[in-house]
Amino acid sequence: MSREIITSKRTGDSCVHVKHKSGLDIYIREMPGFSTVYALFGTKYGSVNTTFKLAADENYTEVPNGIAHFLEHKLFENEDCGVFELFAATGAQCNAYTSFDKTCYLFSCTQNYTENLRILLDFVQKPYFTKENVDKEQGIIGQEICMTNDNPEWRVFFNMLKSMYHSHPIQIDIAGTQESIAKIDADLLYKCYDTFYNLNNMTLSIAGNISEEEVLAICNELLRPCEDKGLETVFPDEPDTIVQAEITEKNDIGASIFHLGFKCRPDSENFLRKEMIATLAVTYLTDASTEMYNRLLSEEIINNSFGGEVFAGEGYFSVIFSGESEYPHKVREAMFEEIQRISAEGIDEKMFSRIKKAAYGDLVRQLCNVTTIASAMISSHMAGFKPFDVVDTVSELTAEDVLQFIKSELLSEKTVLSVIEKI
Amino acid sequence: MNYTRTEIGSNIGFTSVVDKKFNSCSLQLLMIVPMGENASDNSVAVNCISDANSKLNSIAAMNERLSELYGAGFSSSSTIRGDMQVLSLSASWLCSRFAIDGEDITAEMTELITDSLFSPFADENGFDESVFRLSKKEILDIIDSRFNNKREYTIVKAREIAFEGEPIRYGGYGPREQVEAVTPKSAYEAYKKLLSTAQIEICFVSPDADNRVQEVFREKFGAIERNSASHTFYSPSPIKPEPVLVQEEFDVRQAKMAMTFKFDTDDIDAVHLMCIIFGGSPVSKLFVNVREKLSLCYYCACSMSEYKKTITADCGVERENIEKATAEIHNQLDEIRKGNITDEELQSAFLALENAYTSFGDTHSSYISWYTDCFFRNEYTTPNEYLERLFAVTKERIAAAAVNVRLDSTYHMLNKEAE
Repeated sequence: MSREIITSKRTGDSCVHVKHKSGLDIYIREMPGFSTVYALFGTKYGSVNTTFKLAADENYTEVPNGIAHFLEHKLFENEDCGVFELFAATGAQCNAYTSFDKTCYLFSCTQNYTENLRILLDFVQKPYFTKENVDKEQGIIGQEICMTNDNPEWRVFFNMLKSMYHSHPIQIDIAGTQESIAKIDADLLYKCYDTFYNLNNMTLSIAGNISEEEVLAICNELLRPCEDKGLETVFPDEPDTIVQAEITEKNDIGASIFHLGFKCRPDSENFLRKEMIATLAVTYLTDASTEMYNRLLSEEIINNSFGGEVFAGEGYFSVIFSGESEYPHKVREAMFEEIQRISAEGIDEKMFSRIKKAAYGDLVRQLCNVTTIASAMISSHMAGFKPFDVVDTVSELTAEDVLQFIKSELLSEKTVLSVIEKI
Repeated sequence: MNYTRTEIGSNIGFTSVVDKKFNSCSLQLLMIVPMGENASDNSVAVNCISDANSKLNSIAAMNERLSELYGAGFSSSSTIRGDMQVLSLSASWLCSRFAIDGEDITAEMTELITDSLFSPFADENGFDESVFRLSKKEILDIIDSRFNNKREYTIVKAREIAFEGEPIRYGGYGPREQVEAVTPKSAYEAYKKLLSTAQIEICFVSPDADNRVQEVFREKFGAIERNSASHTFYSPSPIKPEPVLVQEEFDVRQAKMAMTFKFDTDDIDAVHLMCIIFGGSPVSKLFVNVREKLSLCYYCACSMSEYKKTITADCGVERENIEKATAEIHNQLDEIRKGNITDEELQSAFLALENAYTSFGDTHSSYISWYTDCFFRNEYTTPNEYLERLFAVTKERIAAAAVNVRLDSTYHMLNKEAE
């Protein structure tokens, strides 16, 4: 077992990282003065991990889409009772989520955190899948899929991903489809569980009103040592081109929306640095003080929902601009012109330094929130960097970094415009 | 933590919370007036206030300044409590001691907020036309985009049906056509009236004791002639003689349903507990039975408005299963009326409440929300005192309260293809 204290150079904030003898990575941040405890126990297993093998396996296994999310639902059922009941008996709030690249189980509480941590560590390590409980879940998840299919924000996003990625499973809906989840059975769930819920592939993150000593004592008691079985996940080769430049769907909605996505090259070596450069580039391009923003706003082409984000992970990296608009093609045209202008004229240093200040302010404010800290610790570990690296990395970036990113990555030929128009 | 509440002017309350563990400050200023025909003017007016002021003459200039102040936030909203319109200005910023360049961010933000509130970008003809046009459009866009979120839209429609004939029927912004009719002049007149007549409640959360903020507001409001009434927020909605059902069809994949119940009891604490047991947690009767046992829904939950004495239960469900879900929701309510509440259900409701109220103080929003609720209830207690009162609720009181809960109206959003 190893232990290190990780400290931010910029703010002095710190947390503890323990590599537990069981194989689990544990992040702990004691936050005196706070009442809440927030804990996440997660596995690096999300909707994109559909093809995998262990070192001892001869061939890769392919599983139906949506199985990571299905597994998340089913882990909430023990042999004796539901997990919700166990947490209800302590008063904690519990939940879980599956994203593209991870599944996390979590609780939030102000009392009995040691008991809640025991429940969390115990139930995630105790799968119980039967034909009956798998069949029952098909109806609930079927309704969840129906609900997300009526969500235009979800549809405009996935339509964009499908038009951007040829073969990367990022384009697949996290919950799968009614058809794909119908192929899931208890055996497949156990197969996935045994593969991905190995403690060497998992992380515990806990923050708030806690004691490191107590947390580690519970971990020592409840974590079963796991042999690292050499998990390997693969993704099909993804061409550096898009599938199609435009996709439009008409829906019964109140305001038309769009996603304008730029497909960029992933960089696993310098993931965080590239992600932060891209984040500053997005802020620079969507800043509400710019001439472009105010012209589009004044001409009622965009409204104050206009913004951008970086969407990146293993094997995918994109920059997405989105908002409500009846004129998404004009937005695209304006964005292309603005990117060309910046590429030719360079970055305004004064504006860049203001944007960096704002980013710094946002990040520092987040350090005082139990939930945000615990979530950031697990996300950063799974993405391959340390919890406070974000603040330190942002402070080192230059205007030239952002300019080079805009010039080399925001290319018109790698752009997808996805629109949901109101009927 | 240090809490104080002071009257800093005629019908103007100022709550100050100092908690050293934070590294940022938040301020919420509420202007409260009865919901009426000026509702949309008021909504557009506060939006104009937060979008620009006499020194920051555009949305661009305002955003640039906020960004310079380490990404500070400043926004407005318009909501309802009982039959009152609650117009809110909210701001948050990084504590000055974290400023890299030594700025006094609190002083700068106080100036920005008070400039906006007391010196908006306007002249005798009303708010500046360009800022006004965009501020008004923001509100129209918010109203239109509600239909993008089908669950939210279902709740909005259910509210319109349940509160038919009442001033709050269309929510905090008023009806869309009323917003469309707002002019720069009418919004500006509404703004002036708000400053002099609205009941005002300010809450400031900070890591350092700093009286400057309070004193600036005291001084600025002191220069205004005020003629403001105090309001009460409890205003029960009358129940319809017979339950009403409204159905609409859309091109959607999943049907949605919202049932509005109204209660005729003053035992609000018992209704609070009842709601948690009925549909307020993952071990509630609705979750366990409608979702887990019958597999009809992904979500089926309820929420309470204590000021209007209503409870709304909603779910997303296949059209063909609406009747089954409706029957089970009624069935579970009947179970509570009969007193069929297990010890575990009651205990887990108590524990959930304890968990919720003892996390008080971990975020700015928890402080602001608690003290704002105290103000609305006109009852200043601590979360622990409030919890003690809730812990005194018995199964018998919950069952008795549930007997007084009756269905008022139902809204169905139906998918066309299922016909």
